[in-house]
Amino acid sequence: MKISFKWLNDHIDLSDYKSRPGELAQLLTASGLEVENIEDPGEAFKHVVVGQIMKLEKHPNADRLTVCQVDAGEGSLRQIVCGAKNHKQGDKVVVTLPGAVLPGNFAIKKSKIRDVESLGMLASESELGLKKESEGIMILPPDAPVGEPFARYYGLDDVTFEINVTPNRADCLSHLGVARELATLLDRPLKTKKPEVKVSSGLSTKQTIGLEVKDEKLCSRYAGRLVRSVKVGPSPEWLKRRLETVGLNSINNVVDVTNFIMVDRGQPLHAFDLKTLAGPKIIVAPAEANEKFKTLDGTDIVLKGDELTIRDAEKAVCIAGVIGGVNSGVTEATTDLFIESAHFAMDSVRRTSRRHGLQTDSAYRFSRGTDESGVVDALEHAVSLIQQVAGGEVAADWWDLRAPVVEREPIRVSTEFVGQKLGLKVDPEDLKKWLHRLNCQVEVLEKGVFSVRPPAYRVDLEQDVDFVEEYGRLNGYNHIPENLPVVGGEPLAHDKQYLFEQRMAELARISGMLQCVNYGFLSGQYQEETLGSAEAYKAAGLDMDSKPVRIKNALSSDLDTMRVSLVPGLLKNLLHNVRHGSEFGRFFEIGQIFGHGDDGYEQKPRMGVVAWGLRRDLWTQPKSQSQIFFDLKGRVQLMLDKLLIQAVQWKEWVNPPSLLHPAQAAILVCEGRPVGYVATIHPQWSVAQKIRVPVAVGELDLVALGRGQPRSVKFKPVSKFPAVERDLALVLPKDIRAQDVAVEIKKAGGALLQSIEVFDVFEGGEIPESHRSVAYRMVFQDSAGTLTDDQMAKLHQHIVSSVSKKFPLKVR
Amino acid sequence: MVPSSLIENLNERLTQALNQLQGARNVQELYDVKVAFAGKNGFLSEMMREMGKLPKEQKPVFGKEVNRVKTQFEQKYEAREAELRQQELAEKVQRERIDVSLPGPKVISGSKHPIYLVMDEVLSILSRLGYAVRTGPQIEKDWYNFEALNIPPDHPSRDMQDTFYIDDHHVLRTHTSPVQIHALLADKPPLRVVAPGAVFRCDSDISHSPNFHQIEGLLVDHKVSMADLRGTVSYLARELFGSSVKVRFRPSFFPFTEPSAEFDCTCPVCGGKGCSMCKQSGWIEIGGSGLVNPRVFEAVKMDPKVWQGFAFGFGVERMAIIKYGIDDIRLFYENDVRFLKQFDL
Repeated sequence: MKISFKWLNDHIDLSDYKSRPGELAQLLTASGLEVENIEDPGEAFKHVVVGQIMKLEKHPNADRLTVCQVDAGEGSLRQIVCGAKNHKQGDKVVVTLPGAVLPGNFAIKKSKIRDVESLGMLASESELGLKKESEGIMILPPDAPVGEPFARYYGLDDVTFEINVTPNRADCLSHLGVARELATLLDRPLKTKKPEVKVSSGLSTKQTIGLEVKDEKLCSRYAGRLVRSVKVGPSPEWLKRRLETVGLNSINNVVDVTNFIMVDRGQPLHAFDLKTLAGPKIIVAPAEANEKFKTLDGTDIVLKGDELTIRDAEKAVCIAGVIGGVNSGVTEATTDLFIESAHFAMDSVRRTSRRHGLQTDSAYRFSRGTDESGVVDALEHAVSLIQQVAGGEVAADWWDLRAPVVEREPIRVSTEFVGQKLGLKVDPEDLKKWLHRLNCQVEVLEKGVFSVRPPAYRVDLEQDVDFVEEYGRLNGYNHIPENLPVVGGEPLAHDKQYLFEQRMAELARISGMLQCVNYGFLSGQYQEETLGSAEAYKAAGLDMDSKPVRIKNALSSDLDTMRVSLVPGLLKNLLHNVRHGSEFGRFFEIGQIFGHGDDGYEQKPRMGVVAWGLRRDLWTQPKSQSQIFFDLKGRVQLMLDKLLIQAVQWKEWVNPPSLLHPAQAAILVCEGRPVGYVATIHPQWSVAQKIRVPVAVGELDLVALGRGQPRSVKFKPVSKFPAVERDLALVLPKDIRAQDVAVEIKKAGGALLQSIEVFDVFEGGEIPESHRSVAYRMVFQDSAGTLTDDQMAKLHQHIVSSVSKKFPLKVR
Repeated sequence: MVPSSLIENLNERLTQALNQLQGARNVQELYDVKVAFAGKNGFLSEMMREMGKLPKEQKPVFGKEVNRVKTQFEQKYEAREAELRQQELAEKVQRERIDVSLPGPKVISGSKHPIYLVMDEVLSILSRLGYAVRTGPQIEKDWYNFEALNIPPDHPSRDMQDTFYIDDHHVLRTHTSPVQIHALLADKPPLRVVAPGAVFRCDSDISHSPNFHQIEGLLVDHKVSMADLRGTVSYLARELFGSSVKVRFRPSFFPFTEPSAEFDCTCPVCGGKGCSMCKQSGWIEIGGSGLVNPRVFEAVKMDPKVWQGFAFGFGVERMAIIKYGIDDIRLFYENDVRFLKQFDL
């Protein structure tokens, strides 16, 4: 909200702060009214003054230039060379002195123009930034006072503060409100000004138009007064300028007055064209269901029926507290006015304004809470000002229907409590002093304990703790000391799932992957198209909502749906990187996915992984594109090993989702339960995305993986006897999986076989068609003794014969 | 007497052979000399055969001479062989010279996202103060996100947070504060908990991301003051940004705390002198805080006469921006390798 310094001075004398508005801003900020910005248009016109051309001569060396002797109020004349043609001797002009910096960073300096000294510049309106284009220099009226700073002369010296008023301080949404706050802080009186109204004794509001308030809950006070025979027209300059300073447009004198009073006193008003109202009375009542309404600014809306409206005998003429109707607004032709000043319920105005997207200054103030006690005051000020700027006769009486006032209970405030909560020693007298300055009624209950009645406009002061804050902020938060608290009791344990996610992130880093963070929502269409059938992921143990949770008021269709998988986000990251030239990446993300659940919605922790590009360097040459699958699988396997998960199986995924390569997809089964997958991306995805590098993706269910975590290491004694390594190369039909043979070898090898791994796979050459050679490296060890050659030969023979019985294979 | 010519010849040939040994350029040449001189069909064997032709009494004498020559030859041979092998090894290692400037095989390590770097650091600091991590749902019930936190429906304080709605009763949590409510309902006071996590607001521009992260701390005990709060956030700021950092409180408003304060710290970039990070003010806004509003305790059926508390929270991205000098919040979510790699710590 914009607050004008000059305007504040209508309510409180701040003349001593005129040259230091920054200090005022600091004072307000330190007490809770955060000044976000100070705008001082005068700053731009430093060293710019009103002057008069006392003597004008031709430039000796240039036909187009003149040499002016200018009185800038300095006691002596100043010589300035000027290139304009529209000036003559005696003209009042705008003099920019050396040191001035005009818009566009145009610095004025002492200079010599064709050998003639020039001590400044006579400025044009465009040079001053007042107009986009202008011809010649700016000539001021003859009465412009020589030497006066131009900003002050031109009315540009008003400083405005942009204040961020928190929702609790509705009382500060006006100049009066901010002035009241300053009066408290500076211990100064407010200026009180009784509005002058010339009343026409023959004119009665109540006899001209009736009033009925049908819902006292939504409208606890409604006041209104007639003004007849006004002349609607442009506002006087001062009024226009006032509204401009706070960012409002001038419309006409009557509307401008209602806006002025709102910004001045915080009370929104509405002016009706009396002749448009179908008598005999004004009714404050909810709208009819599906009632059509055209607002002042031409928006057509359909009212639901619970919105409070101001109505005449036939129709709604105003949405209470939000916006008037085009059917009853003030126009150039209006002569008779009904001015409304009322108090509407906060929640009702807020609901209506949000429902219909009508964010007006009036609705903003009503929905934050206005001062019910100031309704008639504001009306009085308004009619007075209307009479001043638009003439007219003001009715002698006015309507003021008010629901019974509920007296607010006084609040018990104890000095000890205030001190304890702030961590300060508080002097009861000091507390009392500030309560008085806040315009509270204070009664001493016992020593240091007060019964406090806050002023009506402070609707936010409801509990004792509110006064803790009042005292704290007014006394200064910087007085609060620092103390590191000691808390009794045993500290709680960290959330287990969180710890597991942290552990997984660490393992993913150990396995060489970079951590990504994506939004929890994305384009629903993109997600669906990318993932393919949600149902298909069930086989991998991943529940995926086929109708993902959608956001009702999404920012855009790009961000309209909650994610059901981390993979679409990671693929987006991949595309970004490949398109920016990073042809290699290993990414992981740990985050929540969302779906509908028993209790409305549910979220599940997942880990997504993606690998793209194969490193080709001095030492590494990839064997095939499909290596990307094994690269990613290897990293996932490392994590599983570190989690001490024993039974891990990688099962071929028959009919995987359309995103994945149908022949290069594996379901990860841990201890008998599918917990996710790793797969090469389907080539059609790569073609569609114009990606040439190989890509593999995977996703893991962190609830399933987290079962029984963290597991602890069980130490196994290290054998004192040497291990023996043996290789075994087998020629197998291609459709026999290496892992299946390994399982048989393990069985046959028994306890002596410590480990087995594939170290070479070979096809072609001497290997028969549709066969391949798979070479296993086995490590044997006996904890009881050294394995002899004889023992080993027998064992090897046993293994070969066992697997030969199971599979059609040959030893190479 | 053994004919002197024979002895001379023997000596002569020895000298010759020794010279040949000396002249051999490699082990093979050396060996060739050995074969020619001391091999089965070599000179010495020939001499032994010659010896057979000598009269009986001359045999031992000549034999002795041959043996002497043989020994001398062998000594020389061995010495020379060792010398040559040494030389060959020296040459070999010279041939094995590598370009040490070539790179080694690349070992690629992973990295922590800067959001998590900051989050984990804050959690570790607060862990030392006894705070336990708590989490909560990101699709949150209106009651937890708003009502229990003293933000009734249609209340102006709802305007403080632009909310994403899922349906009439569920929102994407706009802050981590609903975790306060979950903790108050689940854990027994006195308690200290910290809630890190993603939050959402429908707001998007250079400095606002519709999805961002917060960390929130909550302490509940019988007597808790603003001084306790200030001491705690000051300690946190010093641990995070350095021991010279100072913290100030500014009055503010949050419906779930009363009194409420925003807290700033002296700009860690310029030390409070004024720079572009702190917009020349010397202070950087960190987060919001306050004493738990009694209405929050009432909402979870705790007696506000018995329990007091404080809460504080701040944006994680904002901390990372300050700590690492990141200039655009969107970078956090682009996940550009060139960005992420910089946090490969």
